[in-house]
Amino acid sequence: MRNGFSRLRLDGQALTTLAVLSVVGFLVLLPLVFLVEESLNVGDPMAFPPVDFGIANYVAIFEEDFRTVWNTVIIAVMATVMAILIGFTLAWILTRTNVPWRGQLERLMELPYYMTPLVGALAWAVIAGPKSGFINQLWKAVGGTGDIADIYTHFGIAWVMALFEGTVAFVMISASMKSMDPALEESARVMGSSKLRTTLTVTLPLVMPGVLGATLFVFAEMLGSFAAALVLGIPGRIYVITTAIWDSTLAYPPDYGRASAMGLSLFVVMFGMLTFYRRVIARGSFATISGKAFRPRPMDMGRLVWVLFSVCLLYVALAVVFPIAALLMTSLQRFATVILSQAEWTIANYQIALSLGPVRTALFNSLMLGFGVASVGVLIMAVLVWIIYRSQLRGRGAIEYLVMFPQAVPRLVFGLALLWAWLNIPIGIYGTLWLLALAYFTVMLPLGVRTIAGVVLQIDKSLEECARVCGASWGYQMRTVTLPLLKPGIMAAWLLIFMACVRELGASAFLMGPNSKVIAPSIVSAFASSGTELTAAMALIQTATVIVALVILFRVARGATKELS
Amino acid sequence: MSTVRIDVSDLVVRYGDAVAVNGVSFTVGRGQHLTLLGPSGCGKTTTLRAIAGLEQPSGGSIRIDGQAIYSAAERKNVPTEQRGVSMVFQSYAVWPHMTVFDNVAYGLRVRKQNAADIKANVERALDLVQMRHLADRGASKLSGGQQQRVALARAIAFSPTVVLFDEPLSNLDAKLRAEMRVELRELQRRLDITSVYVTHDQEEALAISDRVIVMNVGVIEQIGTPEEIYNRPRSRFVADFVGSANLVKGRRAGPDTFEAEGGTILRVAAGGAEAGTEVAIRTAYIDLVPHPGDNQLAGTVRQRMFHGDFVQYVIECAIGRLIVRRPPVNLLDEGAPVTVSFSPDHTVLLQG
Repeated sequence: MRNGFSRLRLDGQALTTLAVLSVVGFLVLLPLVFLVEESLNVGDPMAFPPVDFGIANYVAIFEEDFRTVWNTVIIAVMATVMAILIGFTLAWILTRTNVPWRGQLERLMELPYYMTPLVGALAWAVIAGPKSGFINQLWKAVGGTGDIADIYTHFGIAWVMALFEGTVAFVMISASMKSMDPALEESARVMGSSKLRTTLTVTLPLVMPGVLGATLFVFAEMLGSFAAALVLGIPGRIYVITTAIWDSTLAYPPDYGRASAMGLSLFVVMFGMLTFYRRVIARGSFATISGKAFRPRPMDMGRLVWVLFSVCLLYVALAVVFPIAALLMTSLQRFATVILSQAEWTIANYQIALSLGPVRTALFNSLMLGFGVASVGVLIMAVLVWIIYRSQLRGRGAIEYLVMFPQAVPRLVFGLALLWAWLNIPIGIYGTLWLLALAYFTVMLPLGVRTIAGVVLQIDKSLEECARVCGASWGYQMRTVTLPLLKPGIMAAWLLIFMACVRELGASAFLMGPNSKVIAPSIVSAFASSGTELTAAMALIQTATVIVALVILFRVARGATKELS
Repeated sequence: MSTVRIDVSDLVVRYGDAVAVNGVSFTVGRGQHLTLLGPSGCGKTTTLRAIAGLEQPSGGSIRIDGQAIYSAAERKNVPTEQRGVSMVFQSYAVWPHMTVFDNVAYGLRVRKQNAADIKANVERALDLVQMRHLADRGASKLSGGQQQRVALARAIAFSPTVVLFDEPLSNLDAKLRAEMRVELRELQRRLDITSVYVTHDQEEALAISDRVIVMNVGVIEQIGTPEEIYNRPRSRFVADFVGSANLVKGRRAGPDTFEAEGGTILRVAAGGAEAGTEVAIRTAYIDLVPHPGDNQLAGTVRQRMFHGDFVQYVIECAIGRLIVRRPPVNLLDEGAPVTVSFSPDHTVLLQG
């Protein structure tokens, strides 16, 4: 019974789907196609398009870059183990014990996420760098000889990565702990099992899929992480895949073929891990996830709660308080020292940072990009979310897959792919802020779409349907019901995208041109060329700018909402 | 003017390759209260949503007061908001970002009534559901029962002629549900609205309807008054789904006799199905003292369960084990010999 008007509708649908798919595909997949082509280029690395093809670039990874691959794996494994330990411990303390101020502590655990690994790595270079690092200074001041701390090592890089990924592991593991029905444990206790036995035979097996999922996810992230290895690895000549990619494009002549081959290999591995992760999450949840959020009955830990409480605070201190304090101290001195009697206090570093034209332009550019990409981005993402989760459009599954795809591509590799694509596409946006805007929008797609979708999925469809039944047109329904309900989600997505743009490093590193500088890569190059004091000042200026911008925006947004109501 | 308000004819709704509603036809008279009853997945909610315009049918027609609001033949599909029907949703769908007043006023504002009329109509609707004192409260701060009342007030505030109910009571606890049932029935009589009500609760369906349609796997099993559905189930499905019944297998032996497996002859009600192989006997219609003119069988009490409002016995007799529900007086002991007795009128031959 396919009658005429439904076929017409189908054609309209097919066109819409095709249009959306081709635009998103152009943004997401095309750069990778160029990257594949370049990775097979064995002739002149600067020839576009390449003429000689072969797999020499891939072979070279195993022959010449074996050390890099080994470093990457060893650092990622160490960092994953530490991050999961941190995440599991914190999740257990905050969901299953009667630790005091649980709510506030849980809020505190978000802070490392706002710190970013770049700022964290710079701070830890100041704290635990060899010779001039604060720990070593103190060690010498009390009469020790040599260095007791060196952050420029495999372990040091893994340590910083773990500190900042620990909060991600915490969120994922505590979600799986929270979604467990306490009756499952209670029935074990009723059957006569002890606390310990219950934990071992019921709790752990039920939480395991969540932990395994978090491990896979974190490991994939570690393989693709860039900032910590860049800041802490290069001084000690410890290269991981991401920094090796970066390095081979800086060499003369730049070896884009080799960089592309490494980038693609990394992408394939990460993609595999994330696919496996999705499988684990989809299958391994047993019956613990029932959609309901339970509040498991916390275990009474007696006096031990204060130890657990300190563990939580220690994490926040290591990931947030010490780093910020170290950066502050460094940025306010002429020569960074932790021995206060020798300190020469000055605000010259801030004056220099703000008077340097490039720094000011970079900061301004980043804020502009953040504002623009977030504002235009959320509108497009809201439409995408509506298409994917609310419309009956055929092929919306494919759109969802494409939109979420950038998540599986390391930022740096995506930046490289875009660089190569836009060197080849005869539209002159290479080296301009437009290319950065396009790149930011594409890499932020999963973040924005997921945030908005989270709110859309919570809105019961019948809330919209009811408006129609009451006689409202589609426009009236959107204005009076859908958009007001979506507002918190759209605002949250805006803020997250804005923040992520102002801090973007991986994609920006390749796409920034002399006339389109942005702040995060500028901080990295300052660290390589100027002193730590100036770099610390720049990092803090960036952090402070983001905070100020967010506070202003919150105020404005709140004012606007008040006027409306 | 005809007395038919809603006319659904040969309605078909497909989801991809699955057929949710497969050729359903019925009419609802003015002021009538019709209930679609069936297990989940039987197509009752889909039928209701098709009337509201929230599902796109693939065949048949739906008319209100003679006007086609959907017709496959005429290629007509009036959008939801222009159909003039109203609906109470299972989840209530009370908008959390508005006050109770704004929720109820929504349909009136869409219809561009002036402020004074809106106020008067909202207050009238809130009075009907006894919620006027909460008019200024935010909708997110209401209990389930209160939300249900707001949803009801919102649905009747703009004086629609047709109101659709999608399992409106299923999220309430048992006691509140029983109260709301009484209120709904009362409200419906006072407002003279035509309504279509969807539920999977057979007790609810029998209690509040003028007519009941029992649906199963996308088709109508039986249409009738609650009494007809209960006393004269047409099929095994209806006998089993509505109320509780004993089903006895066998074959038709004469114009008004039925031979149960094992050879016992039962007299059955006239007008049953032609070639039935099963009869239904409601558990409430079997007595344990013999009545003249009844089917009578000797048996033994196998089990007794005291439920308070009634006592349920399992009686072993020549046609198998019968479940019997009696008032909780003159209790019989397990093992006691009894005579089961039930009228031929209540021995209903089912369609094969």
